[in-house]
Amino acid sequence: MSSWALPLAAAGELPDSFFKERTSDTLPCQANSHAFFCFDWARENIDRYGQPTVQHLKLVALAMVFGFAIAFSLALLAHRRRWLQTPLGVATGVLYTIPSVAFFFLLLPFTGRGVDTAVIALTAFNLQIIYRNTVVGLANVPRSVVDAARGIGQTDRQILWRVEIPLASPEIIAGLRIATVSTVAIATLATLAGGGGLGQPIFANGIDFKTNIIIAGGIAILMALSFDLILNLIQRFVTPWERATQG
Amino acid sequence: MPTDDSSPVSRAASAVRYENATKRYGDSKAPAVEGLTLDVPAGEICVLVGPSGCGKTTAMRLVNRTVELTDGDVLVGDRSVRDREPAELRREIGYVIQQIGLFPHRTIAQNIATVPALLGWDRARARVRASELLELIGLEPELADRYPAQLSGGQQQRVGVARALAADPLVMLMDEPFGAIDPINRERLQNEFLRLQAEIKKTVLFVTHDIDEAIKMGDRIAVMRKGGRVAQYATPAELLMSPADEFVEDFVGADRALKRLALMRVSDIDLWEAPLAYVGQPTAEVGVKLEGAEVPYPLLVDGERRPLGWLSERDLAAETVSGSPDSPLGPVLELDDVMRDALADILQGGAQYAAVTDRAGRIAGVLSVEIISEFLGSPAAKVEEHGAAERPLGEEPSGE
Repeated sequence: MSSWALPLAAAGELPDSFFKERTSDTLPCQANSHAFFCFDWARENIDRYGQPTVQHLKLVALAMVFGFAIAFSLALLAHRRRWLQTPLGVATGVLYTIPSVAFFFLLLPFTGRGVDTAVIALTAFNLQIIYRNTVVGLANVPRSVVDAARGIGQTDRQILWRVEIPLASPEIIAGLRIATVSTVAIATLATLAGGGGLGQPIFANGIDFKTNIIIAGGIAILMALSFDLILNLIQRFVTPWERATQG
Repeated sequence: MPTDDSSPVSRAASAVRYENATKRYGDSKAPAVEGLTLDVPAGEICVLVGPSGCGKTTAMRLVNRTVELTDGDVLVGDRSVRDREPAELRREIGYVIQQIGLFPHRTIAQNIATVPALLGWDRARARVRASELLELIGLEPELADRYPAQLSGGQQQRVGVARALAADPLVMLMDEPFGAIDPINRERLQNEFLRLQAEIKKTVLFVTHDIDEAIKMGDRIAVMRKGGRVAQYATPAELLMSPADEFVEDFVGADRALKRLALMRVSDIDLWEAPLAYVGQPTAEVGVKLEGAEVPYPLLVDGERRPLGWLSERDLAAETVSGSPDSPLGPVLELDDVMRDALADILQGGAQYAAVTDRAGRIAGVLSVEIISEFLGSPAAKVEEHGAAERPLGEEPSGE
């Protein structure tokens, strides 16, 4: 418990009362902190996770939208101007390697506590994966196809939007899938920046009460799997030729 | 601009003219193409042939501005490509490349209809056009909704040609279009394209490094050497008969005599007259015919003048010509046969000469090894080897 004292103190305004209001130590399995999972408690308290889940979704959605918008634009820029590829790769790579918690605290003096700080850090963390997959996806489009497209009379813009991006879309979406899953996971730390989310219940009650951690963590895992599934379906939907040619 | 009638047969073709065209890449000293001047008449296939690195592809690409001129000019019709907006220019010029470059994410019909779509045709019309072209290139209509990866290489390249033809271009650029196809299918595609070209009569710039393909496909051939310089620009027959210099001679190959024969039909050469004999004819009469004849033996024919066999001296020893000649007929050629195949037939039959018949099977003359070798030996024998000779003979059914 003590190891969490520092971040929790830094987080300051954690709702200490998150669980205490209702859980009046009446449930035997709650008292026994060694019990792995307390079904009775879970049944009674599951509604408390609604708001953190929604907030978690919001954090992930915002980070993904901003991350995709920025990384995709950077990748298109680097696709046109090859010399930008390496510097942009390094820049997003640096952002990727900064530990998220450190990033939150670095941002605190500028953006304060709250969703903004969390979203900025999560977005920055996303850029590398989306950027790199997009750049690689565009680079993997066969030259002969681009040559034919140009020779046939497509403008650069038409080649980009009608040929290159559609053909790169499997890789782009693959990047989005990885980025989304890791964002769902890392967003559990957003509470340290005051951004809420599923990290809030996880940290609120300490690490001894496993039932809570399992529920909050389980929701996060389910959320990650759902996003992954949805993106997978989208990928199949936008790349019908891949399925047709596999048979 | 596009035709309104639904006929896949084209409207027109434009001449292409290079005027001192030069391309220099970046800072390299030697230009890829230097001072190229070349006239390609409308409706003809002009083959640019030469060793790799000779600048033939660069020269071809100057036409649709996928390579930009450094100096000089290229005219399509009578307009300089320099005055054209590149994308717009390219939509009037069919483009076929060795790697085919079909869009893997678009169906066959969508691939074919790419340029019509760029030109703003409505969907229904583009779709109709795509099916017309599928038919023209001999692919089943069911393939329209497949993706390129579901087709064989040969089928894909047919689609590549169809895509290039979709908006009825004025000029076609074909860069080693059949280079990546296996030999059997390549030959089939070549023949199909020649048959198609006889119908659509486009101006075609065709790049290859294969002299045999050049001879087969070209109405005219520009043999190029390094720097995009034209060593010789001539019809296939001229090229084979009188190479301009050693470079061309080397490039054309030591077997150019045989290649010339591949360009000719039996009907292109003066045949010997056969001394004919009929069943029941007195042999004395036949003997008279033999005097002064180039063929030493009489040919027995039936009442329709269809050859039956050669008479030997023993046959002639009899009073009258019998119905069963001593020597078998051996190979029988047709006037339409390609000369090279005819020669092969004669040699394979172990003979020196063979009877030639017309389409109805009636005797038309005798072709001998001697005639052929005389023809090849004499520069005077400038037979007008007409362009039709290299046209496909075997009308094999199109298909994959």
